[in-house]
Amino acid sequence: MNAVPSPALAEVLARGDIWRGDALAERPAATIPSGHAELDAELPGGGWPQGTLTELLAARDGIGEMSLLLPALARLSGEGGWLALVAPPWLPYGPACAAAGLHPERLVVIRTARQIAWCCEQLIASGGFAGVLGWPERDIDARTLRRLQVAAEGRPVFAVLWRSVAVASTPSPAPLRIALETAADGLSLRILKRRGRPASRPLTLAVPRPGRNSRVVAGPLFSAVRAGSPAAAAVA
Amino acid sequence: MPGQKLSTALGLAPELRVFERDPAREAAALTALACAAGRFTPSVSLAPPDGLLLEIGGCLRLFGGVEAIVDAVRTACGEQGWSTDWAVAPTPLAARWLARAGAARIVMAADELPGALASLSCAAPGWSAEVVARLESFGLRRLGDLAALPTAGLRQRLGNGPVDDLLRARGDVPDPQRCFVFPERFATALELPSRVEHAEGLAFAGQRLFAALAGWLHSRQALVRVCTLELRHDDGSSSALPLRLGEPSADEARLLRLLREHLGRLTLQAPVEALRLEADEVIARPGDSGRLFAEAVAGEGAAACLERLRARLGEAAVQVLGLRADYRPECTTVTADPLAAVASRPAASGQAAQMPPVTRPLWLLPVPQPLAEEADGPHWHGPLHLLTRAERLESGWWDGGEEGTAGDVRRDYFVARNRQGQWAWIFRDGQGWFLHGLFA
Repeated sequence: MNAVPSPALAEVLARGDIWRGDALAERPAATIPSGHAELDAELPGGGWPQGTLTELLAARDGIGEMSLLLPALARLSGEGGWLALVAPPWLPYGPACAAAGLHPERLVVIRTARQIAWCCEQLIASGGFAGVLGWPERDIDARTLRRLQVAAEGRPVFAVLWRSVAVASTPSPAPLRIALETAADGLSLRILKRRGRPASRPLTLAVPRPGRNSRVVAGPLFSAVRAGSPAAAAVA
Repeated sequence: MPGQKLSTALGLAPELRVFERDPAREAAALTALACAAGRFTPSVSLAPPDGLLLEIGGCLRLFGGVEAIVDAVRTACGEQGWSTDWAVAPTPLAARWLARAGAARIVMAADELPGALASLSCAAPGWSAEVVARLESFGLRRLGDLAALPTAGLRQRLGNGPVDDLLRARGDVPDPQRCFVFPERFATALELPSRVEHAEGLAFAGQRLFAALAGWLHSRQALVRVCTLELRHDDGSSSALPLRLGEPSADEARLLRLLREHLGRLTLQAPVEALRLEADEVIARPGDSGRLFAEAVAGEGAAACLERLRARLGEAAVQVLGLRADYRPECTTVTADPLAAVASRPAASGQAAQMPPVTRPLWLLPVPQPLAEEADGPHWHGPLHLLTRAERLESGWWDGGEEGTAGDVRRDYFVARNRQGQWAWIFRDGQGWFLHGLFA
C-alpha cells in the first residue's frame, strides 16, 4: 500500500486538471481596459466585463465615481458605440462629457422616474449599445436584476447599475460588485464580488480630480460677506 | 347547409347570427391578403371571390422547401385571423380545385396530378349547375371518370368550357394568370367586427393591416418611414395615430411592437369601428449585400430600441446631448433628437475642441441648490473647502428677466470639497452660495 510514493506537491500542481484557487477564473467574454492598471489586475479578464452586469455601490455622490468609468466609456464612445444613461440623478454636463472623450451625439440620456429597469433591459437587450449605465430604483428586486443579467449575457455591452452602498450585504446576481468609498488620496474600491478568488483588500485609485488639489486658495473672507451687504453686491 | 332557407336554419339553430354578404368588403379583404402575400412571392394572382394563387416555384430555395413555405403562408393567414383551405399543385387550376375540395395536400410532380384530380367530385371545379346536373345524369361523379372519356364526345355534350378547364388543370394547355399589381400607394382600411373600446384591443386588428403593409413593402422593394393609422370612431369622427420609425423598415414585427407601445399610451375618445392604414413616407430599399462572415449581434439595434423607448416614455424623455457655445453652464448642454443622430451619423464633434479648457463638472444640477452659509463659508454635508480661485462668469444680459431662460448671470465659481470627499462646483452671486455641479 505504501509502496507507491506520494507525488511531490509541485508535480500535482503542474497537472492540467488541478485548479488552483488563487488563479482568477478565465473569462472568455470580452473585457475593456478600465484605464487603471491596478484595477485591471484585479478584475477577471483584465478589465471591465462586457456581457455581464456590473454593480457599483457608491457611498456618496461626487467622490469621483464617474471619473472611474470615464476611460472605458471614452474608449467605447471613440469606437463609435452608443452610450445610454438611464435615469441619472442629475443632468450630464455636455462640455465636460465631450472633454472626457464621450461623443455627446451618441450619448443617450433617458429621464424617467418609472420603468427604469425595463428601460435598462431594453437598451441592453437591443445589442446596439456599447455602454448602459442605469440608476435603478432603490427597491429593485433580485428577479429584475436577474433579468438584466440575462439580457446582458452574450452581448458586447458594458452594463453598469449604480446602487446604494446600503445593499452591499444583499445578494445580487451581478457577477461583479464593487463598493466605492472616498479615500485620502483618491477613490477606494472594495471588490465585494467577482468571478474567481475573492479580493482581499481594498484598492485605492487616483482618479482625476479638478482644480489644484494641493493648496487652498486665499479667497475673499466669505464669512464677512453676507448676501445683500455692499460687499456682496460688489462681488456680484 | 347551402340552399337551406334562413327560416329553417334559424329554426334549427336559434342562436344563429346572420350576416349580409358584402362583395365589396370581400374584395377589399382579398386585396389586403394579396398585399400580405407579397412577402412570400412576387407573383400573386387573385382568384375572386375567395381565392389567392401564389406562384411559389421560384421561392422554394429561399424558404427551404415547399413544406416550409406552406407553413409560413398558413401561419401568416392564421395570425391575421383567416382560416384557409389550401393545396399545392403544378397548375393553378388544379391547385384551386384541390384547395376548394379541402384536399390540403402538396402535389409537386406533374405525373401525380391526374391521380390527385381523379378523386375530386365533379362539383369541385365550380362549373355551372346545368353542367353538373348533366354529368350527374351521365353517372359521372368524379373527375377521374371524365378523364377516361373521349374528349370530342364530351365537348359535344358539355360545351368547350369544362373540357378546356380539365386540360388546363392537367397542364395539357397553358393557363397564364393575370398577376396582382401591387398598388402604387398603400392605403387600406379594415372594418372591425365589433366596436373596440380599449386601445389595446386594436393591436390584433392592426396586425392584419401591418401584415398587408409588410407584404406590399416587400414586393415593391421599399421601406416605410412614417405611416398613419387612422381610427374611425362610431360617432363619425376620426383620429390619426402617426407612427414614426427611427430608421426605415419593412419588418412587420417591428411595426407591430411600435404600434403596441403607442396603443399602450393611447386613450380612445370614442369606440372605434374601423381602421385605416396609410404609408405616408416610403423610400426605396437601399441595396446592400451581406457580409461573408457576418458578426451580427443578437438584438434589434440602437435605433429600433430608442424608437420603442420614445414611444413609451415620450419623446422628451429620450434625448441625446448637444453642445451650444454659451458661457452660462445651464445653456451649454442642449438636448437633441437621438434618431436624427442615427440618420445623419455625424463625424466626431468638433465643438468640444472649441470650448475653453476649463474645469467643468460631469453632473450639473438642473436648478442651482442654495447652500447654507456658516461662519467658515458655505456648507454642503459639512463645511466646503474652496480649492480654486474664483472663475467669474458674467453673461446673458440679452435674456435677463425673461421667463424660461437662464437670465443674466454674474457668478463666481469655485471647486470645493467637503470632509466626506465630495467634490462640488459651487458659485456665489448676489443671493448667496449655490451648489451647481458635482465632479462625480
